Amino acid sequence: MELLEQIKERYLDRLSPATFRSRLFWKTVEGLALSPLNRPQWKADRVSLAYFLRATRDAYLHRAPVVWCNLLTPSELVLGSGCIPFYPEMAAAVAASAGLAPRFIDRAAEEEFPSDACSYHRCLLGCALEGFLPEPDLLLAVNYPCDSAPLSFAFLGDLYRAPLFVLEAPLPGRERGVEELAGRMAEAARAMAGLSGRREREMMEGLSTAVELSNRALRHLREVEEMRKRDDCTLDGKDAMGNVSVLAGCLGSQAGADFYRLLAEELRERGCRGKNGLRIMWMHLKPWYSQTIFQILEKHGARLVCEEYTHATWEAMDPRDPFPSLARKLGGHFLVGAAERRVSHLVRLAREYRVDGAIHYNHWGCRQSCGSAPLAKGALQRAGVPTLIIDGDCIDDREYQEGQVATRLEAFLESLK
Amino acid sequence: MDEDLITWFCAYTPLELLTAAGLKPVRSFGDPDRIDDSDAFLHPAICPYVRSCLAQAMQEEGPHHAVFVNSCDGMRRLHDAWKDLFPDGFVFLLDLPRNVGKSGERMLAGEYRHLLEALRSWRGREISHAEIKAACRAREELRREYIRAAEGAGGGERLLLARHFQSAPQDAASPAATRGPAATAPGAGRGVPVLLTGNILNPAGMVSLLEEAGARVVWADLCNGDRAFAAPTLAEGESLGEVLGALAAAYLARPHCARMLDGERRHRTLVENALRAGARGIIYASLKFCDSYLYEYPRTREMLQREGIPVLRLESDYADGHAGQVLTRVEAFLEMIS
Ligand code: SF4
Ligand code: SF4
Repeated sequence: MELLEQIKERYLDRLSPATFRSRLFWKTVEGLALSPLNRPQWKADRVSLAYFLRATRDAYLHRAPVVWCNLLTPSELVLGSGCIPFYPEMAAAVAASAGLAPRFIDRAAEEEFPSDACSYHRCLLGCALEGFLPEPDLLLAVNYPCDSAPLSFAFLGDLYRAPLFVLEAPLPGRERGVEELAGRMAEAARAMAGLSGRREREMMEGLSTAVELSNRALRHLREVEEMRKRDDCTLDGKDAMGNVSVLAGCLGSQAGADFYRLLAEELRERGCRGKNGLRIMWMHLKPWYSQTIFQILEKHGARLVCEEYTHATWEAMDPRDPFPSLARKLGGHFLVGAAERRVSHLVRLAREYRVDGAIHYNHWGCRQSCGSAPLAKGALQRAGVPTLIIDGDCIDDREYQEGQVATRLEAFLESLK
Repeated sequence: MDEDLITWFCAYTPLELLTAAGLKPVRSFGDPDRIDDSDAFLHPAICPYVRSCLAQAMQEEGPHHAVFVNSCDGMRRLHDAWKDLFPDGFVFLLDLPRNVGKSGERMLAGEYRHLLEALRSWRGREISHAEIKAACRAREELRREYIRAAEGAGGGERLLLARHFQSAPQDAASPAATRGPAATAPGAGRGVPVLLTGNILNPAGMVSLLEEAGARVVWADLCNGDRAFAAPTLAEGESLGEVLGALAAAYLARPHCARMLDGERRHRTLVENALRAGARGIIYASLKFCDSYLYEYPRTREMLQREGIPVLRLESDYADGHAGQVLTRVEAFLEMIS
């Protein structure tokens, strides 16, 4: 987070939409990122940082058509079609880490988006309304994990006068639905290739390369997962949780494959730290503006050994047949359909990572995760995993009751010992 | 308990298929006064209609057969909690496209096939396209009856009528037995004409407050109001495939709720309805925590401003115990537009 702090220090008082569209700003940021002081500890993180900085810079400078995506939009599809995927939900997390979210959330409230909606979306809507985000040429949302993306993207499509595509993942067991989804993906890819000027053949080549690279990332991710199951794994989930952005936004790029390759290599090299302690699973996302929860975990010798969103949940794809492959990958996601899938994903993780306890962070306004938290808790308890549900907000620190969270967390960790 | 009763929740439920299977579909309106009973299963920041429905079902004896529509996160979570709590009931989750048009119709017709298949294995008998067509005709008769009954009725009354037509057990054999309460239309013709738009409202809550404040609801664009009866769902065809295709097309041609993607058509219909019914303004009232209506409001407001139609935004917690607090706002709005 040092990098973010330095950027804030230099730019906060003159932060304007124009700042992000200036080449000088990006030069400075890239310079800061290269400084040894700001270099992430893990080699893999250096790769993802460089990738996201480059992609975000290119999106602001409009070096290629920009496509806005939500968490489950397959980045392979966008990259393969020659466009830059931009994930405004991640931008909201970055704004929250920099302590800037409240300002944007208040802007969304002025537009009459009330506080009952997910603050990731209220924050990104506020950013968009203030002109802080790179203009999309197209918006590509998936109808999962939640309703927020298709709905807020509909508003944004009007705001930017850009076309909106919604990819509809079918319910489990609907084979025809997978075919329809593949067809819709092909339609979206053609629209994107039309923007980037790729002909059909180039587009298909681009997509097959993207799928190939995604497969490579998957192979290495599986190695990472095997190593994370070990008692002595040195990677803590509080850091690994950020990899949700890699899983969402980098697959299909060289950086995505390199990221997981380097992570696997480094985990192998770093080897044993020899620490025993409580093994905890984290469900949903974390508050991006505060470290308190993790300090408490550390104080109690507890470590996050797995997180809900950072694991491989699909099989290798066929690069010669990108649309059906990507449709199957998306359709098989554990967040698609009824809660049963999410619940069994969580129980499986808890078993494979031999966790002592699990924490569900209830992000206010997230009907999908808060909505199925009681079921997840019930199933985990039945599987012998004590589970704590804490209410909070990932983005808006004004909705975070630090004292209350700390008391409940401490009591829970004590009970696990 | 009648084994043929089946509960439904969302206005996109294909009632015709349920009736054709010999079932009596009944819409649940939940018990808003016991909403907290659902706390252990559904987070308090989930749609109060959904939570009220679960709370009510928890008080009732089984068998709890139900069809859910995958229309929003709230409905999906209701399905999940219901299935967990009542494992012995017939429980089906029907998908609903957001993309209207041909691909949406294909998808929805495919979903109808899945529903028929599930019904066939539960009920142990095939459902023919002739039975579905007969059920469509019976539904259409009911729809016309609602329109006749609602003629000239006030907002609260229209909602009570709609509730009756949606929740009195109906089967194909006896549609006439479900004739609703006669509309007495007290105060019909009085008050400031407004169009009410939103999702589901409690007839005894927010809507009666509007009338108390001097509004006359001339069109209730709610899924438990006129919207659900605004267009036929008659399907014709010579084969099962044709009938299901036609039924899907009919459901997707009805006026839509805000979860669908074709905002433009929805906005056009809203303005047309307001003009046709002589509304002087629009009251946009929706349940708390309904993302579909919550995210949609700024777009609708913009569009209505462009059209020069005044709009007031209200929110309901379904029980509407504190609805009186908005009385002054409603009165000021009515004064402005009258
Ligand atoms: S936090 Fe929940 S509601 Fe918000 S964007 Fe993520 S999944 Fe959707
Ligand atoms: S508001 Fe829409 S999604 Fe919700 S129950 Fe009514 S028709 Fe279904």
